[in-house]
Amino acid sequence: MKKVAVIGLDCADPDLVEEFLPGLPTLGELIRGGSFSRLRSVDPPITVPAWMCMFTGRDPGELGVYGFRNRVDYSYAGLGVATSARFSRPTVWDELGRRGLRSILLGIPGTYPPKPVRGLLVSGFLAPSTETDYTYPASLRGKIASWVGEYMLDVRNFRTEDKGWLVEEVRRMTEQRFALARRLISEKDWDLFAMVDMGPDRIHHGLWAHHDPGHPKHDPGSPFRDAIRDYYRFLDQKIGELLSDLPEGTQVLVVSDHGAQRMEGGIGINEWLIREGYLTLKAYPEEPTRMGDLIKRGLVDWSRTVAWGEGGYYGRLFLNVKGREPQGTVPPERYEELRSELAEGLAAIPDEEGRPIGTRALRPQELYREVNGIPPDLIVYFGDLRWRSIGTVGWDRIHFHENDTGPDDANHAPHGIFIAYPKLDERRERSILEVHDLILSLMGDKYG
Amino acid sequence: MGEKKAIEIDEGIVQAIEEHLSELSAGSVEEYVEAVLRERLLAEGFLSPYSPEEEKEVEQHLRDLGYLD
Repeated sequence: MKKVAVIGLDCADPDLVEEFLPGLPTLGELIRGGSFSRLRSVDPPITVPAWMCMFTGRDPGELGVYGFRNRVDYSYAGLGVATSARFSRPTVWDELGRRGLRSILLGIPGTYPPKPVRGLLVSGFLAPSTETDYTYPASLRGKIASWVGEYMLDVRNFRTEDKGWLVEEVRRMTEQRFALARRLISEKDWDLFAMVDMGPDRIHHGLWAHHDPGHPKHDPGSPFRDAIRDYYRFLDQKIGELLSDLPEGTQVLVVSDHGAQRMEGGIGINEWLIREGYLTLKAYPEEPTRMGDLIKRGLVDWSRTVAWGEGGYYGRLFLNVKGREPQGTVPPERYEELRSELAEGLAAIPDEEGRPIGTRALRPQELYREVNGIPPDLIVYFGDLRWRSIGTVGWDRIHFHENDTGPDDANHAPHGIFIAYPKLDERRERSILEVHDLILSLMGDKYG
Repeated sequence: MGEKKAIEIDEGIVQAIEEHLSELSAGSVEEYVEAVLRERLLAEGFLSPYSPEEEKEVEQHLRDLGYLD
């Protein structure tokens, strides 16, 4: 039976891979001798739930996980971080384990707290620290410390103008993650190896403006102009080292959960709702304040509120429905009418010059095969994800060209990468939801 | 990770775990039992994945990363 190694690169972008390919000997060899496709992510194309969608073959609606934080009930403040406990559908490693096959799982977002697996598991970056039981078995934690020292779950203090420091930290994390990967695959039995390195995501968000001449903040004289390219070269070298340790005949998949694109600005979703009369505050804050804080402080007049929103790389909009939310105002019979009105209104928000930006407001029921848990009523891609959603209130404007949470140059794009070596087929595009069945198929199960 | 407390469980269960520690990928009976119970309690919502301080830290990290605001 074939071993499968999945090398996950969070946010690795197909256009960048093609652009940098002449300087990427490892990926170049894999692509020339294998298959290279664009990998369509889920909606929203965001790390959680996208990786778990890949490894379960289930869409966010089926998983009931629509982002890093999800409503846990219909209260206004009831949001919870999506931990492994939220993912109840079997993963590919659960299914392989039932067949007696062993998996090594490293850094996959959505795996903290670690569940028992046949094999071993090192949680992703939602583990609060390495002081917690972030591995299965728990005793693996001590071995990791003895192998690589203090294990980096992520780059801390990522929002910084000190780009030199950030580049070094991202490289340090990648170096260590690949070193640990090599140690694990060399010392432990496995049939499936799957890892995720967060480095590409962190470097894109931190340095995209330095790389992209089309970015509004691009400085052609920046000393970090080639930092992303150089990071991809570094990553290529680390992948090459890892591949050299894999047993002959291993099927290699290099994948990402989504791509990246320049971020052109932000739209204040709650500022817009206030301006249009859909959201009413008891007192407008004197300084920028998070929506969650306004809710907790009782500053939202729910009796005069139709909808409120959450910020992030994409927007989430919730309607205040009578009989559903504690102080709902929207009669259920008017729900669809108001949802459509809001979707159209959001889609029509132009930039400051009055030019359309191509916003899309999506209904979960039209995106997913099932809708479980509590989804947002609308998922909003401002500027088709070239603008982020600003949730804070107190700015007295809706357009932003700086981030309310610190410097960030990039947003997510719907296509990631899929490289398979040896070659599978000639397809140029596939879905992230196919990967689960593909792995099982490669490992001897019937496809699909 | 909290303090450890001794409990008694059926000997047959202990033996089965001991015989299959390798397949269960655990270093000891205690390690396996604790992991299985933790998973079950988390799934039922009887145990929180984070302490309140940890949850605040994780949310702040997600905010710093741009996933939330």
